[in-house]
Amino acid sequence: MNDLVTEARERLVSRARRAGLATVGYRVVDSPLGPLWIAVGPKGVLAIHYGAEAPEVDLRRIVRAYGPGVLPDPRRADAVARELDQYFAGRRRAFDVAVDLSPLTDFQRRILGATARVAFGAVSTYAGVAARAGSAKAFRAAGQALTANPLPIVVPCHRILASDGTLGGYAGGLDAKRRLLALERGDVPTGGWPKKAPTRS
Amino acid sequence: MIGMTAPLTFGELLQRHEREIFAYALRLTGDRDDADDVYQETFLAAFRGWPPPRRGRERAWLYRIATNKAIDRARRARRLVRMDDLGLAAPERDGASLADLAAAVRVLPPGQRAAFVLRKVQGLEYAEVARTLDCSEDAARSRVAEAMKKVREAMR
Repeated sequence: MNDLVTEARERLVSRARRAGLATVGYRVVDSPLGPLWIAVGPKGVLAIHYGAEAPEVDLRRIVRAYGPGVLPDPRRADAVARELDQYFAGRRRAFDVAVDLSPLTDFQRRILGATARVAFGAVSTYAGVAARAGSAKAFRAAGQALTANPLPIVVPCHRILASDGTLGGYAGGLDAKRRLLALERGDVPTGGWPKKAPTRS
Repeated sequence: MIGMTAPLTFGELLQRHEREIFAYALRLTGDRDDADDVYQETFLAAFRGWPPPRRGRERAWLYRIATNKAIDRARRARRLVRMDDLGLAAPERDGASLADLAAAVRVLPPGQRAAFVLRKVQGLEYAEVARTLDCSEDAARSRVAEAMKKVREAMR
């Protein structure tokens, strides 16, 4: 019966989209850093989350902005999934997909905007990002905004380190941060890193 | 599956209930394509009628919608309910039409309607009706009996 339900669901999601009921589509993709939960809304990518389940904090933000029409819709996340694959394979240095930061606060948007301007392979500090965002004194708040970055990898908060040069924090864990920084130094095995299969409940 | 404190989304509702609703639709209609339609109409109606009446009661809400959709389909398709199943085969009942019966079934409270359809239309055992509707077997018998009484009165 699984196949029947899957086919029925795909048709349902298409109909809901055509009827304007499906505002946000999501899917889980495999990556070398484990499964990533990705949500895409009408204006662009809304969330990339380390894990196979939707995080409550992201869901709250998404539902507040776009209502409850959040549905599994793999095709909507195709473009970002493809770009992530290319990035992990060492074949992409910047992301072209549109991101939607509109549900965030103005401060978060400025900090993430400044972070997005840190180039592939470069690093900055929380203080540096705060200064670039026009809030030089708010480096602690900048750190918090980056910890809560809903779009890791695409908005490259892994490139932001503590002022003393240590790694600082990372939502995906420090191992993931080290790996992303290594990837951007060119440390990618031939054929890219293997994907970690998602742990499904 | 996410916790109960997270906002309920269409996707979460699907993840929790789509399999059982599809299975229910399959049982109600006995046909894959019809079940697919009932599944889709049920969830589209749920999305349009959002929010669910009460948090934690989404399942009963979906069953009610699915039952209504299946009955509507049966009416549209003029699919005949076996009249002898209803114990209504007396001569004066010969003129009773499906529309009369459908109208009688339609005004039943949802719990009774679902139990009635599952038992009398689909021919499920009471234990299966109870499992499908998440109630005891006694409650399923009582719902069907009450539904039968009301249908008989309506068809009189």
